[in-house]
Amino acid sequence: MSSIMPTEVPRRSQLSRRHIELGAEFERSGYLLLVKDYGSQTEATQAQILGLVDLSTLPRTGFKGAGAPDWAATQALNLPQQPNTCTVQTDGSLVAKLSHQELLILSDLNGKSASIERLNNTPVDPQTYSLPRADSHCWLAITGSQAAEMFSKICAVDLRSHKFANGEIAQTSVAKANSIVIRNDQGSTHCFYILTDVSSAEFLWDCLLDAMVEYDGRPVGVAALRALV
Amino acid sequence: MKGQQIQKRLPLPYGSLIDRNTEVSFSFERKSYQGFAGDSIASALAANQQWLLSRSFKYHRPRGALTMAGQDANTMVQLPSNPNALADRELISDNLAIMAQNYSGSLNNDRGAVMGLFSRFLPVGFYYKAFFKPRGIWEKWAPIIRKKAGLGVINQQLEPQYYDKQYRFFDVVVVGAGPAGMQAALSAAVEGCEVLLVDENPILGGSLNYARFDAEGIRGQQLREKLIQKIEANSNITSMTDAVCNAWFADNWLPIIRGKRLYKVRAKQTILCTGALEQQAVFRNNDLPGVMMSSAAQRLIHLYGIRPGNAAVIVTGNNDGYANALDLLDAGVDVKAIVDLREQPKPDAIVFAAAARGIPVKTGYAVYEAQKSRNHLSAVEIRKVVSQGICADRGEVIPCDLLCMAVGYTPTYQLVCQAGGQLSYDDNSAMFTLINCPDAMQVAGSVNSHWNLDACLAEASRAAIIATNALGLTSTAIPEEIAKEPVSPNHPWPIFAHPSGKEFVDYDEDLTIADIINATRDGYEHIQLVKRYSTCGMGPSQGRHSALAAARLVAAATNRTVAQTGVTTARPPFAPEHLGHSAGRSFYPARRSNMHYRHLEAGAQMLQAGAWYRPAFYGAADGTVDNSETCINNEVNNVRNNVGLVDVSTLGGIEVRGPDAGEFLNRFYTFGFVKQPVGKARYALLTNEAGVVIDDGVACRFSDEHYYVTATTGGVDRVYQNMLKWNAQWRLDIDIANVTSAYCGVNIAGPKAREVLAKLCTDVDLSPSAFPYMGVREGTVAGIPARLIRVGFVGELGYEIHVPQHCGEALWDALMDAGQEQGIKPFGIEAQRILRLEKGHIIIGQDTDAMSNPMEVQMGWAVSRKKPFFVGGRTLTELENKPQLRSLVGFVVNDLNAPIPKESHLILDGEQMTGRVTSCNYSPTLQKPIGLAYVTPENTPAGSTFIIKSSGGVRVTAEVVKLPFYDPDTLRQEL
Repeated sequence: MSSIMPTEVPRRSQLSRRHIELGAEFERSGYLLLVKDYGSQTEATQAQILGLVDLSTLPRTGFKGAGAPDWAATQALNLPQQPNTCTVQTDGSLVAKLSHQELLILSDLNGKSASIERLNNTPVDPQTYSLPRADSHCWLAITGSQAAEMFSKICAVDLRSHKFANGEIAQTSVAKANSIVIRNDQGSTHCFYILTDVSSAEFLWDCLLDAMVEYDGRPVGVAALRALV
Repeated sequence: MKGQQIQKRLPLPYGSLIDRNTEVSFSFERKSYQGFAGDSIASALAANQQWLLSRSFKYHRPRGALTMAGQDANTMVQLPSNPNALADRELISDNLAIMAQNYSGSLNNDRGAVMGLFSRFLPVGFYYKAFFKPRGIWEKWAPIIRKKAGLGVINQQLEPQYYDKQYRFFDVVVVGAGPAGMQAALSAAVEGCEVLLVDENPILGGSLNYARFDAEGIRGQQLREKLIQKIEANSNITSMTDAVCNAWFADNWLPIIRGKRLYKVRAKQTILCTGALEQQAVFRNNDLPGVMMSSAAQRLIHLYGIRPGNAAVIVTGNNDGYANALDLLDAGVDVKAIVDLREQPKPDAIVFAAAARGIPVKTGYAVYEAQKSRNHLSAVEIRKVVSQGICADRGEVIPCDLLCMAVGYTPTYQLVCQAGGQLSYDDNSAMFTLINCPDAMQVAGSVNSHWNLDACLAEASRAAIIATNALGLTSTAIPEEIAKEPVSPNHPWPIFAHPSGKEFVDYDEDLTIADIINATRDGYEHIQLVKRYSTCGMGPSQGRHSALAAARLVAAATNRTVAQTGVTTARPPFAPEHLGHSAGRSFYPARRSNMHYRHLEAGAQMLQAGAWYRPAFYGAADGTVDNSETCINNEVNNVRNNVGLVDVSTLGGIEVRGPDAGEFLNRFYTFGFVKQPVGKARYALLTNEAGVVIDDGVACRFSDEHYYVTATTGGVDRVYQNMLKWNAQWRLDIDIANVTSAYCGVNIAGPKAREVLAKLCTDVDLSPSAFPYMGVREGTVAGIPARLIRVGFVGELGYEIHVPQHCGEALWDALMDAGQEQGIKPFGIEAQRILRLEKGHIIIGQDTDAMSNPMEVQMGWAVSRKKPFFVGGRTLTELENKPQLRSLVGFVVNDLNAPIPKESHLILDGEQMTGRVTSCNYSPTLQKPIGLAYVTPENTPAGSTFIIKSSGGVRVTAEVVKLPFYDPDTLRQEL
């Protein structure tokens, strides 16, 4: 059993029970609790083949509205030019442009990005509205060379690397659950973030594991994901 | 043993599909057989001289392999897992127990074969003629006929198997990996296309694997090896064998089935090289085992190394029959004669080779009748053809155990026609041809009536150029269309009626020449009507071998051309598919709150509300289910007397923000919201344009420009959509965000609720004066940022606490811990339903229906008459000026011995239905059944009584009472 348990913090992933069942070792930084690993020595290698990571407790936020583009432009962010693309910021956070008037900001994998907290505490302009993205969606990552192949079993968008470039976003259905799929490679390893309605997190997790069996995919901890960079 | 099996086979290189090193044991009709890995059931049985595979549908005639390509119903057998498996498609496996279908007694001696003796009493359409009089007799006949009509048996004990689906994306999909298909794939791939080459057979090559294209019999194999070598070297080509492209849908959406997976393939361009299906000659007893397509015999020889007979006759209308004869000779078969329907075959090298090898040829002759012995072909009678379909009075009998038919082809047109292409008939070539293929689809090869290998390859390259040009990868000049060959392989009339009948046009349905002609004589002259009246083409093989002959017969019988007669519609699927392929891996995005496991740990019995799992009630603490009624009543009592906690995370939550937020809600809901004070909640009733109540919730005003609106669990998505729709018209300066999942919510309710909450919430003044009923506040609970709403759905002092979703479980834990001293207990949906009923609150969708307006459900107080507009307002004004037809009232049942009415029980006035019950429960608080019901206006005054037709038809007297049942002065919730 992990020396740290999810019940020690108020923010608990919807998938906590799944992680405990899989023998997860958790890591904690303040109120932020993540699965460090599942006790396997080969998780970094696994992540290069096909890994599934729960990042749901990491910080993230969102803004939308007619004023959002102009307001965001004043926030020292490297903004994507086109909708359905994303850019990685210098602090490791990621800004995803979901439409001309909607932004999603994800923290770095350590939850240390300053931009999330700063944006949440900065007054917004008129016609700019914050969105509770940290809680409305779960955040999973699928990594590895088999990721796109696995996705083809549950998602109708062609996510193969030569068809879906790094930094592209698909707002689509994954296993019939509305999802935001962001390609954000980690080093040379393919990586897709999936953000789906948080209440369906366990459903999606189970679907992904089921789809991954064919390719020997397994859950890995965030340490394996960090090791890819 | 292996040696014995090998002796049953022709030597290498015959048998390209079998692995002679791996023997497989199986049983058919409980008798053990051996075959090789790669054998189909039919081939393995054929190797063991078991040619009889099935019994026909109507007359129970003996049937054997016809096509060896999985294109006919003769080979359908029963497997342990499923009926109607195609024995010439399904592979043998160790210990597979196979049974024949549709016989009575034994396969060899089927008692059902007696039906053939009564065939003259079973004319076409006899179902329609025989079983509808006298009135009602069909009910008697139906079970008998259905029992007789069944083929295989479904194994209802079978555990569901795992089927799934996968998406695939290609620039070009080539269906059919024969010579044309392989060439098309190569030509497209070298231009940079991602190509999928799909074929239903285990190996690439199509007809190159078994057909003879030259006198020496070497060209096919050489060409196959050359093409495959190139395909394997080209990384742009994905080959998918053992895979059936089972339909064409709009935008080149191709469902391809392989094993237990359905591939959902998207192609930018499709090239169909699906080949052609050989057709049978129609003569008496043309269905006997031992009578088969010439291509079937060649498949047996080349694919499985099986000699298809010892003494053969070939009936032909083209030179392919001569090639077939050479193959048979090479395989050691004694070829007794080639019976050529033509007076003069077109001279070519193959014809010369056949002559050189001394094969007797009877030109201008037809097979008039096949004769049988022991359920197998024993001889054929051939006669001189004197005119179309007419033979001389006498002929000669040739003993044989194999008759190969090579009289023509139809294109495998199904996918093309599903895509909008059409079948035309060329009277000169006596062939169906394809016309009007849609954009983004090309056809090449024999499906497009090319029979010469070089022409097939040239046309395939041309199709690939058209496809790559369309994709923008090339801008190559498109070569001239390849000219069709002047001589057709189709004989125009290989149909010979016999006075004793049994010349089968449709094997599946046992339909003969007379059946088709009689259908037209019964007035069904259109080919579509012939199909439905006779059932021609409606069997498992879907007209693959009957469409051409039936069209010719109908045309002749109705004095039209075949082109005028046409063919029936080809619809998906192309081949039978398991239901599992359609169902596949099903996805149901079930939703759970962050507190879900706390409910399970507390012994909750969960129920589904839409996609959400919600606790219905909590069982005993040890996890066993206590009596549910006791559990629910205890939960109700605990809320009334102490404090309870219910998970309301599933309630919808919508943020409406912006300068016009109040105005928006004013227009959207029935109440007034513009002047709603900040820090207050207001009941929000939603009607549609027809004034029908469709949802409700509360609108909480947290600032001038910020409302947080709740909605029902099942209704929030519709409410959100309606909000977006209306504001698309109104264009008010607001933002609307559905944040349902972003918040977890609980309702802590009961007289001790404040006491518990106060332990965890120190930054909000919870006193009644500072935080009164219908107040809203923001603060922290157990250190978690929270929105607090003082509402009273259950009729007690209560607070809804909404916190960020990921903190839901922590909130639950904190409240349960803090409330221990006060006796806090969780309560579920069932208790909540009773509590709200006692308080007289309606549930939208349960106490309302598609006609309910606010006045009917006593919600007129929630409708503002002062504002200029709201959705449904105009209709409600009209409705208020008309007499009300029904009203929702509260009632009690005073007779405690009466059965408790249930939802939807009828209200009767005498025998006339005048209303219905919408909610009814035993009230632990009032200790009697209480409920809500729609009644007529005269039944609305308190004290009125009405009759409910309760369970078992028992009439129960109910008394109307004023709502609410409980705490009419609302003192409890305003504590």
